[in-house]
Amino acid sequence: MIMNCTFPTVTFPAIPNFTTSTISACPKTLHVTSLKNPIPFLKPPNKINPTKLKLKISFRTRASVSDSNGGTGNWVKWIPTGAFSISADKVFRLISGATASPIYQFVSSPTTFLHSVDPRIKLVWLLALVVLPARSHIAMRFGLVIFLSFLSIWILPRHVWMDQLGRVSLLSGILFIMLGLGADGVTPLVQLRTPPPAMMGLPKLPASLGGYSYLIMKLGPLQFTRKGLSVASIAACLTFTVFQSASLCLTTTTPEQLAFALRWFMLPLTYIGVPVAEIVLTLMLSLRFITLVFDEVRNVALGIVSRRINWQHLTMMETIDIFVIYFRRIFKNIFIHADQISQAMIVRGFRGDSKTHKIYFLSDSSFGMADIVSLLCLVGVTGAALLSDYFLV
Amino acid sequence: MNHATLFRASAALFPPPHSTSSTRTNVTDNIAIDGRNVNFSITTRQGKVVPILRDCSLRIPSGQFWMLLGPNGCGKSTLLKILAGVLSPTNGTVYVKRPKSFVFQNPDHQVVMPTVEADVAFGLGKFNLTCGEVRSRVSKALDAVGMSDYLQRSVQTLSGGQKQRVAIAGALAEACKVLLLDELTTFLDENDQIGVIKAVRNSLDSSEEVTALWVTHRLEELEYADGAVYMENGEVVMQGDAASILDFIRVRQSAYIKQINS
Repeated sequence: MIMNCTFPTVTFPAIPNFTTSTISACPKTLHVTSLKNPIPFLKPPNKINPTKLKLKISFRTRASVSDSNGGTGNWVKWIPTGAFSISADKVFRLISGATASPIYQFVSSPTTFLHSVDPRIKLVWLLALVVLPARSHIAMRFGLVIFLSFLSIWILPRHVWMDQLGRVSLLSGILFIMLGLGADGVTPLVQLRTPPPAMMGLPKLPASLGGYSYLIMKLGPLQFTRKGLSVASIAACLTFTVFQSASLCLTTTTPEQLAFALRWFMLPLTYIGVPVAEIVLTLMLSLRFITLVFDEVRNVALGIVSRRINWQHLTMMETIDIFVIYFRRIFKNIFIHADQISQAMIVRGFRGDSKTHKIYFLSDSSFGMADIVSLLCLVGVTGAALLSDYFLV
Repeated sequence: MNHATLFRASAALFPPPHSTSSTRTNVTDNIAIDGRNVNFSITTRQGKVVPILRDCSLRIPSGQFWMLLGPNGCGKSTLLKILAGVLSPTNGTVYVKRPKSFVFQNPDHQVVMPTVEADVAFGLGKFNLTCGEVRSRVSKALDAVGMSDYLQRSVQTLSGGQKQRVAIAGALAEACKVLLLDELTTFLDENDQIGVIKAVRNSLDSSEEVTALWVTHRLEELEYADGAVYMENGEVVMQGDAASILDFIRVRQSAYIKQINS
């Protein structure tokens, strides 16, 4: 307000170049009289003292700043913080540099023991590893976790297991701590309605003779109780076994083998009219298509990054607009891809009936030594888990 | 997709075996691809009709390796898609011997299964084969394109050129009478280009009946061909044996260079 009011009062608006340059360069030694032909109206009155001039200069410069930015019209520019626009850039860079196969990656060599196990047995193992941690003794749960870790270290190449185990342990570690302290840890804010035993005139509950204590550990205001331990160990171990067994299975089994195993288990369902052939074909196609989708997401992000957009100059709405364009482009490309794949399938002899179009599973499905060993281990682990509930109490 | 026109065309060109009245019998015996006055146009959203192919006629004898040449955007791929039956012509008739197979320019459009082995075997699904037969065909086809070490690799880990070869192996495994190949060498380096051409040439030489039509714009590939078709602006300008087409294009090139320099 002040700036706008004072701007017209500046004494020499006619030749702004002259005033600004000379004044800002040497405001104190301003000698207008030194000019060859001083124009009369430019002649400053003698009473101007430097301080007053300085004041005016400062007004002038301030006014010019607000002028050059178009006044109040572009206030939107100042609203988004720099962090927002930089983070948009970061998001696209992150997407464009992401891995091509975030879900699974079949490692074909070195061929290990697990590669030669029949995929059907692997699927049964996966099911067992989901059910067992929830239904067995705590020692058994941790045993399964250790077993899986050792198996991964033994089977997988070093950089693969380091990566996998690191991520999964971090996730289940966080879960363990959060649930262990959170399940029963914080004393309820609202007091129980029953009065404490001392007020009722009853004696306190005696401490357990066998050293049993509901409370295991106390960390400041938080407490780690037996309930917390139970919940936390189930959740953390289940998370660990589910993720690790799945990634172990996927790194040692080709998608076709898995589809083959699924088809084998689903074959009885054909009698009740389930389109098993169609489901398996769809599964195979989608396994290929998922990677195309990831490629597309990455490529379009790379396209945006390579345009070298100056994110700092964009307003928030413009940034959001670019994201919307990004998502629209991805969907458009994906649909084009789907269209072309369907064309390719027709050209390659698919006539829309998955029953008449055979899918060959070329993997060797003979029952070998590895399968027997694996099955025996499965029976052993399941038996131990069931028994652990009875004997370890 | 208009298969009906194709079937009609092939029915007309396949008279009963003992008929002597038709003079075409002898012709179709050794013609694998026959397109007559093929027109193709698309209608834009504004309702404008844009012609893409104008009166294209071509004949390719059976058992030969032909190339389809021309500058970018002259309608080579469209013509090939019409021959493959992916598009149907607005006018004209097309006859292509069956079984035929078509390989797309971009391998990502062609490879539909998650691993190499399964993809090559996908095209065999329409035949009733035993697992052993399928396995031998797949390994033979992959051998022909030099990818036999990649049987179990997942497709996403392959490079563009390797994917291209998997796509070609898929076409070779079907053991088709006619191969329609759309600019296969786009993604390949010089070594692989020659390798793929030789693989196609070998499969042609190994059996009498296989015919291939190869779309390209690399002139050096012409030396492997028996004949060529040259297109420009949606029209077939010339067709003949490889040497005469090569001369024709060289003359045009030098005329063009002269025109620029003058």
